Amino acid sequence: MPYFRITLMRSGIGMPQKVQGVLKALGLRKRMTTVYHPVSQSVAGQIMRIKELVDVKEMEHAVTKEQMREARRPDPGYYVERKGLAGDKLA
Amino acid sequence: MFGPFRLTNPLSGGLLWKIPWRLSRHQKYRHRNRLRAVDSVVATVDNALAKRGETMKKVVMWKAEMPTEQEMLPKDKYSVFDRKVKRYRKGIHKVPKWTRVSQRLNPPGF
Repeated sequence: MPYFRITLMRSGIGMPQKVQGVLKALGLRKRMTTVYHPVSQSVAGQIMRIKELVDVKEMEHAVTKEQMREARRPDPGYYVERKGLAGDKLA
Repeated sequence: MFGPFRLTNPLSGGLLWKIPWRLSRHQKYRHRNRLRAVDSVVATVDNALAKRGETMKKVVMWKAEMPTEQEMLPKDKYSVFDRKVKRYRKGIHKVPKWTRVSQRLNPPGF
């Protein structure tokens, strides 16, 4: 099922109430927030209302907030070869 | 001292305008980029709906009556009609919130 990936690039501050209401309805509260919504006419209509403020891309799958956060996590710089067991030291 | 009616040079009378009457070429460049960004959003929405065999009146109307960035005349890109201005044109950067609103069409003949 295709999804719209909507990112708020420009703030809605000072825009008409209808525009700010659409941002709130889509879950775009701050700049650079990204939300996924299924491709449908109602979402398309909402995007048309805020088209100057957002960046839109069509994606195959939706990504949850946790997955987006995980993708941003930097490389820790090490990897665990083998986990020590609790009883190893004594043996 | 603060607030909307504070005494600043432009407000205390006289002909002191701090907004230049024309756009710089860098402002024009960024403005073209913004116009293209809006075009791409509309195209993305249209493509996504077309894949599902749907259309939407708002998108159809936009495509029918709004010129894309390439189709627009420089005159319409960088200036807008204003009945109060001499020769009926003012720079688009005088429009409130001009970087976040679409202003592409002007009255025919002006």
